[in-house]
Amino acid sequence: MTVKIEVGAGGIPHNQIVIYGLVGSLVLIYLTYLNQVTGTEYFAFFGGLACVVALLWGADTIKHLCSYGLGTGVPSAGMIALGSGVIAALFGATTGVFAPIVALIVAAIIGAVAGLLANHVVRMDIPVMVISLTELAIVGAITVLGLVAMVGGTFNFLDLVTGTTVILGFAVKSYEASVIGGSIVAVIFMLAAIAIQHAFNACLGPGEQQDRTLMLAAECGFLSMIPVAVISFAFIAFIPALISLLVSVIGWAYTYAEYIKLSKRDAYAWLDAKPILEPKGGA
Amino acid sequence: MSALGGPAQTAGVQSPTGMGLAISIILIIVALALAFFLVQMAGLLALVGIIIGGVLIGFGVHFVPVGGAPAAMGQAPGIATGVAMLAAGAGLAGLFGGAWAAPLGFPLALAGGAIGGGLLMAITCTMVNVIYIFGMGIPAASGKVAKDPITGDTFPEYKSQGTEGHGLPFISWVGGVVGGALGGLGGTLIYLELLDIYQAQMPALLGATVEQIAPIAISLAGVFAVGMFLMNAVLAAYNITGTIEGPHDPKFKRFPRAIIAAAAASAVAGIFAIGLLELVGVF
Repeated sequence: MTVKIEVGAGGIPHNQIVIYGLVGSLVLIYLTYLNQVTGTEYFAFFGGLACVVALLWGADTIKHLCSYGLGTGVPSAGMIALGSGVIAALFGATTGVFAPIVALIVAAIIGAVAGLLANHVVRMDIPVMVISLTELAIVGAITVLGLVAMVGGTFNFLDLVTGTTVILGFAVKSYEASVIGGSIVAVIFMLAAIAIQHAFNACLGPGEQQDRTLMLAAECGFLSMIPVAVISFAFIAFIPALISLLVSVIGWAYTYAEYIKLSKRDAYAWLDAKPILEPKGGA
Repeated sequence: MSALGGPAQTAGVQSPTGMGLAISIILIIVALALAFFLVQMAGLLALVGIIIGGVLIGFGVHFVPVGGAPAAMGQAPGIATGVAMLAAGAGLAGLFGGAWAAPLGFPLALAGGAIGGGLLMAITCTMVNVIYIFGMGIPAASGKVAKDPITGDTFPEYKSQGTEGHGLPFISWVGGVVGGALGGLGGTLIYLELLDIYQAQMPALLGATVEQIAPIAISLAGVFAVGMFLMNAVLAAYNITGTIEGPHDPKFKRFPRAIIAAAAASAVAGIFAIGLLELVGVF
């Protein structure tokens, strides 16, 4: 009854991906801070890009962890990643400009504790468990924080809990019309949880190739960005939200086309269904 | 046997390592002390409630008949999906029930959560059997025990060769409902404790009334409850390593490990959720 999970060898070493993922996502998430510096909302889409970079890292970590065979399926790793990540992300958001760093540290603590418990109490005894769950929690936190910053244009807690509604022409401060008060975080949670686990869940098996898995991870990230960009129309100005939407749609279309190309490269054969052309002059 | 090839499991239950136990106890004590230091007695009691909620979730997951991929092929008893999906379904349904009943008082909200989770599992288990029996044409037979402990039905005559049993016997149905109810109860308990904390702290922090901040408090408590629910459910899933038939399964005896892990994980995640508002406005 055992289904072996097979992982392809080769590709970029995991440690290198960790460094790229960590530095890249932190830099990108801090680029959304340009919104506060310049007083605009045009840089919100960098939050989504940070999420995509973090997802690339997370997909590779899940590949490492799940190659040991957890017995619970790949999605559980994505769920625990976002479960611990969302707590860290919102805790981090309360610290203003230090939000990404604090979220990272808190996520590392929660993830490491979960990993230690999994190895030493639940006795999974998987060598990479502690480091993998730590990485996954950090990825979860950065993903949530990135998408939250994309929706609200900021990762500052006080700005995220207050929104404005227009009643009879007057702008009124309202907690209901805010990113957190509107429970957008719950939507982001699920969008990110599905995106993080899908890539390896779909690509695992004989002939798994790292570049194909990671391309699918990026595709999932951009796909999650699209609904987030649509939601952001409610919270940030029209033009910045439109920029977010364009970036996510273009990114998704590109990664999707690339992923199909890579899938065809790795496939034994495929069928390109073409419409049957009517002969000239009628049948 | 796991659906996706678990780590080597030796006979019997491996007890937690000394280091694991020590870390768990230290983490719980540190978290309780921090909660008392940050929010005084209310914080301490809230964290105790969160830990109890987490333990209920971790314990409840062991009742749920999880079949995984083999169950989808009718080769193992249980519901044909992973622990994380089932737990998320039952937990979210329980949370909806509990959150809806929250204004009606503490006991009624807890009962609402338990009924929500139990009801979802009851419907799921019933429909699973409808599909198994009328759609796939297979009878319910457990592979782990010869007789149903509740109804006394015998299984070996109905069990197909080469399978570990199939369908969903009555004992598994009962297990599913009990597990869903415990999960919903635990999730709702976490939600209510966090809601109390936020409703007590936020009005002063934001200079608003309890009614005005309700959307933020409910949304934060809800998403944290979901996050902690998934953390505990996945740790319990790691404890089960794949599939379980219900309370009659020999794997059920492993639950003490999951209880320790869930208590420590909820304590660590809970202290960040309780201390969420401590740093607002500091930076």
